[in-house]
Amino acid sequence: MTKGFLVLETGECYEGNILNSSSGTVDFERAGEVVFNTSNTGYEEIATDPSYFSQIIVMTAPQQGNYGISKDFWESKDIHIQGFIALEIQQSPREHSWVNQLIKYKVPMLSGLDTRDLTMRLRGGGTPWGAIVVAENAAMAKTKAEKLIQAKRGIDKDWVYAVSAKNNEVIKGENASGPRVAIIDLGTKQNIVRLALRYSGEIKLFNSRATPVEINAYNPQAILLTNGPGDPADVKVAAETTRSFIGKRPIYGICMGHQILCLALGAKTYKLKFGHRGSNHPIKDEVINRIYVSSQNHGYAVDPKTLPADVKITHTNLNDQSVAGIYSKEKNILGIQYHPEACPGPHEAQGLFGFFFDEMVANYKF
Amino acid sequence: MPKKSNLKKVLILGSGPIVIGQACEFDYSGTQACKAIMKEGIEVVLVNSNPATIMTDPEIATKTYIEPLKPEFLEKILEKERPQAIIPTLGGQTALNLALELHEKGILKKYNVELLGATPEVIRAAEDREIFRGILDQVGAKYPRSFLVRTYEYGLEVATELGYPLILRPNYTLGGGGGGIAYSPEEYRSMIIQALHESPTSEVLVEESIIGWKEFELEVMRDYKGTFVVVCNIENVDPCGVHTGDSITVAPQMTLTDQQYQEMRDEAYKIINLVGIQTGGANVQFAVEPVTGQRVVIEMNPRVSRSSALASKATGFPIAKIAALLALGYSLDELKNDITRSTPSSYEPALDYVVTKIPRFAFEKFQGSKDLLTTQMKSVGEVMGIGRTFKESLMKSLLSLEFHPEGIPDVAYTPEQLSYPNSQRIWAVFQIFRDGKTIEDVQELTMIDPWFLEQIQQIVVFEKRFAKEFKFDENKKDESYRILLDAKRMGFSDARIAKLVGRKDADILALRNKWDLHPKYSRVDTCAAEFESNTPYLYSSYWATKSELPTFNKPVAVIGSGPNRIGQGIEFDYSCVRGVKAIQRNNTPVIMINSNPETVSTDYDTSDLLFFEPLTAECVTEVLTATGAQGFISQLGGQTPINITKKLLKNGFNLLGSTMETIDLAEDRGLFSDICKKIGLRIPKSAMVGGYSQALEAQTDVGFPMICRPSFVLGGRRMEVLENPDELKSYFERHKDYISDDKPCLMDQFLEGALEVDVDIIRGKDWNLVGGIIEHIEAAGVHSGDSMGVIPPQRLKDSTCEKIEELSRILADEIKIIGFMNLQMAIKDDVIYVLEANPRSSRSVPFIAKATGIPLVDLGVEAILGKTKKELNLEKYNWRNIKNVCVKGVVFPFKKFSESDSILGPEMKSTGESMGRGADYSEALMKAFISSHVKLPSKGEVFFSLREKDKDLLLPIAREIKSMGYQLSATTGTAAYFNENGLECTSLRKVHEGRPHCVDHIRKGNVSLVINTTTGRKAIEASFDIRRACIDYSIPCITESDASVAFLIALKKRNEGSFDVTSL
Repeated sequence: MTKGFLVLETGECYEGNILNSSSGTVDFERAGEVVFNTSNTGYEEIATDPSYFSQIIVMTAPQQGNYGISKDFWESKDIHIQGFIALEIQQSPREHSWVNQLIKYKVPMLSGLDTRDLTMRLRGGGTPWGAIVVAENAAMAKTKAEKLIQAKRGIDKDWVYAVSAKNNEVIKGENASGPRVAIIDLGTKQNIVRLALRYSGEIKLFNSRATPVEINAYNPQAILLTNGPGDPADVKVAAETTRSFIGKRPIYGICMGHQILCLALGAKTYKLKFGHRGSNHPIKDEVINRIYVSSQNHGYAVDPKTLPADVKITHTNLNDQSVAGIYSKEKNILGIQYHPEACPGPHEAQGLFGFFFDEMVANYKF
Repeated sequence: MPKKSNLKKVLILGSGPIVIGQACEFDYSGTQACKAIMKEGIEVVLVNSNPATIMTDPEIATKTYIEPLKPEFLEKILEKERPQAIIPTLGGQTALNLALELHEKGILKKYNVELLGATPEVIRAAEDREIFRGILDQVGAKYPRSFLVRTYEYGLEVATELGYPLILRPNYTLGGGGGGIAYSPEEYRSMIIQALHESPTSEVLVEESIIGWKEFELEVMRDYKGTFVVVCNIENVDPCGVHTGDSITVAPQMTLTDQQYQEMRDEAYKIINLVGIQTGGANVQFAVEPVTGQRVVIEMNPRVSRSSALASKATGFPIAKIAALLALGYSLDELKNDITRSTPSSYEPALDYVVTKIPRFAFEKFQGSKDLLTTQMKSVGEVMGIGRTFKESLMKSLLSLEFHPEGIPDVAYTPEQLSYPNSQRIWAVFQIFRDGKTIEDVQELTMIDPWFLEQIQQIVVFEKRFAKEFKFDENKKDESYRILLDAKRMGFSDARIAKLVGRKDADILALRNKWDLHPKYSRVDTCAAEFESNTPYLYSSYWATKSELPTFNKPVAVIGSGPNRIGQGIEFDYSCVRGVKAIQRNNTPVIMINSNPETVSTDYDTSDLLFFEPLTAECVTEVLTATGAQGFISQLGGQTPINITKKLLKNGFNLLGSTMETIDLAEDRGLFSDICKKIGLRIPKSAMVGGYSQALEAQTDVGFPMICRPSFVLGGRRMEVLENPDELKSYFERHKDYISDDKPCLMDQFLEGALEVDVDIIRGKDWNLVGGIIEHIEAAGVHSGDSMGVIPPQRLKDSTCEKIEELSRILADEIKIIGFMNLQMAIKDDVIYVLEANPRSSRSVPFIAKATGIPLVDLGVEAILGKTKKELNLEKYNWRNIKNVCVKGVVFPFKKFSESDSILGPEMKSTGESMGRGADYSEALMKAFISSHVKLPSKGEVFFSLREKDKDLLLPIAREIKSMGYQLSATTGTAAYFNENGLECTSLRKVHEGRPHCVDHIRKGNVSLVINTTTGRKAIEASFDIRRACIDYSIPCITESDASVAFLIALKKRNEGSFDVTSL
């Protein structure tokens, strides 16, 4: 272990241990937006979720890495987080350890710090940028971190584009009589694709900047907008593209997809103070008419006052009453701010996929 | 808005006396629920037979009935009170079973009472394993292959089919009672008979073994809207094969992937829905095969439980309170989270710390019973430790056990102690790692998941490094601060650190003070700091960098009683909780410190600041320093706080109430006898001897009979009553290894046949008040905690009672008690002897308070806070004004310890008590026996086996029993004596006289009551089988002559059939 720091752009320094591999010390340092997640399990799903692009994750649950790794849990082809912070990360001579995995992907890890104190800072002051650096002391750490943060902040703000599929892959679905679905990939988690395949005859993945013409050429019977990272207002093209399909195709937006859908409807989004990230948020769902616990990961939300009158807020986050979903029967659109596809987190909202495909899509008259 | 807004009055069932498997966690649940329902403006009628609970304090419910939890008594209460509904889910299995009985007898229908929280169908679905397995099939859940066995023959058949080892689970029993693991056909054959007998429905599930699988438990809640939340997921460190109540458990679960966990969660959700639970809390237990990940369901309970109490304390989510409100018709989203006060209860708590629970055992109390853990629960209490990491939390909970100040002392162990689960295994695991064994080695022996073993190994590796690298030198902070901080973060106590580096623990404290190395206090906030918390429920951690302490003006700290154990249980939690409330009424904020998750005192609602901490001098010192407490109270939590008081004083804190000098005067044998002599109080003659030759000299002075015990053996073991010089000689021969000049043996005059009493007295600076005198039913020689008792006294003369009160006052004045004192006295031939003084609240305080209506704890606290006579209206308190007769009943755990003897003696063995309240002695006695689960048979055969000197005494009793229509049988000598005296009696062989003998006769089910008195080691051993047969077959067995008189009185009353019920 090497002495290391998390330095926030606002100046706070948190000293901890940088975890090294058995073969040597770590020389990679990274910057990102520092956010916390309250899930107890699912570190591998979280790290591979493209929505965490450019973010350093603070796990509030203190023991991480306990159960090793498995390719089955990957939600994309890459690890997207810029850093992984937890009070204690299992570091034993296991071959397939989480520590070794992150080292392989050059993701810095910081442990041995008061993550509760850090979380309270993030809760109180919002989610700042920060960097994990190796340093002898705080002063040195700050100098190093400033540069890293500056460089990282300079990247293109359309994070969605950075993680969106570049090749328009077509995959055969599991339901031969099911619809043809255009998935606008804003940085999708694999489980959205997996669940869509269950209901579809075929799916085609489109880049976030795909035009209506490209998508129309596929003649989809349904459109699915996926999750993705960053500020929805910075995402180029997708909202306009979506707008052209409203009323013409059943649309289901998840997380970023939901925000893009709302932007397409003319609504505005805003940054939440510290976001919702975890597996324990209560949702009131007026579509399947239940209250349940959901998987969450978003830093922005839709301003309810800006939604058009004919769109109903059907899903509410009961912790802070923020918009958790919208539905319009007339327009045949459904937007869900949280993660019905789970991975990690509870499965109770998965019924929304059924609602979309079996009701919204199945009953749609072309 | 509650859906059922027309509810005006509900009845809540408690769980009765504390037994293994059903302890004070139900006091916690019930109290919380009562408070929540009362707050809704609904009247609560509470029924519980346990006087030691907070729950039965008259202020908790609208009306409190301390009555037996049996249908006929409930029917009377229902008739009187006419509640609209019963909530049966808060009083453990006892309450569920009782509710089911009331339903089946048509009583609920008759009085038009609804069951809230669990319907009869739900209770049956969860408890009846055949129905439950049907539900699991529908859900698609797997379960271990098993067969429901109703006969011995079928039992043998299925055993061949399933192969060994086998698990036996009798239906409808508490804490797996009567169950266990059979490794061989021989073992199985005897266990199946026992298990069939234990099940009230004579049904036993015989199950294939899943020993070694990982075990998990989900604590869940559901409301009428169908909202489902998992409050807590718990993982057992001890794999399957050990009852979950006896396992070390951890929350949150540590070794499951998200996928595995979510699948488990989904399954729990489906099961709850199919079982039909509309509202409330439940738990579902799972086992997971460590390699394949295959999952099976073990069981589910449709009620709050021991683990839901633990889950509430572990997460801050008040399960029982919410369950009660859900039963009234609220939904989870309508109820606010108490801790954040901003978010709803329809969420799942997120933990940013780790919680470890460790059970506390009492094997040393039950000679002959093997220290082995099986599927039948044996622990008597538990502790919980909260830390930021598993290591910190494990080490804190080991300290909380009050087993050893080092927490993880070096121990000697045998290989068997690792491979057969037992109460000492955790220390053996530490030790085997010290001895250099690998994780693989230890995993093979223990089947414990390697993740946990790795954590323990890391502690041990660190311990070795620490011992080598740490330099005890206050000027070398640069070099040694960091490693000392690491040690504290890992949970090492000062005592262990001191041991590792050859110092005293005070040296380590001094060094930490010098270096300003102290823990900080974090909050249990239900949400991992995502939201602000408004409730100061705190734990210490050396990982925390800031304390989240609110400021209070000059708080007073109350030190709790730690884990329940035999001799120190729920009664002391009663004192603590009442005490906290009394202090608060004096406008003083209160800090509560305790380590026991089952209690009301560790409800965040009880005190102003709750600290969940080990009750070691070190941890309490830190709390007192951090909070700037004006003082601490040691008198409420039993012996635990008394034991650390000296160190706390040395660390500069202010003891409230009786001073240390006073405590010493009462506790030190020598000082105490000097005081007694000085004021002319009689004490039994005694001597201290280093060996047999000295004993010979002392024997004439002390006289026979006498009680001998080695002074340095814990728990009163090797304590015997000796009748003559031969027995004295034999005693010293047998115990010579435990007696020497530096480990002397105490010889005390034994006041044979004396009446014993308990007196509780409160003394303020210019006043005192006797709370009451409890007359023991058994004669001297039976531990006061094990003897039944009655208030007001039935046999003592009024003048003697007055004399006892007067002597108590003199003694309290003389040793300058401020607060509580409990005295035990013996009265023989009108002479009063003082046996023992306890300078603190006692086991008998809640009993006396409830019997007399005197708020004894409140007054004790007023005394401690310095209130004068003028400030208190003491005239209204007179225990002699008591209108009813109240009898204390006692319950024993002998059934759980299959090799133990049920004979009562000077060492306490009972786990709990009941109270029988009646218009007269007979009614009170009858209720006390019934509440203590002692059957009062209306007909049948009564078997006697009496020692010589009791024969004359018990002849009239036998005669009376005969005249009531019972048949008599007796061992050869007793039978001859009865027949000689014209009392017709069947003679049965003693065991050594050949078969068929009396024990065969008892085991065949021919006997409905046994009266067996005996003395002397040999005779006791010879009659062991008689008593054991009674325990195994739940036949009442009276082992003392005064108790048989009392039993006869109760029996007569029972046969007469009339009784009444009254509220406090």
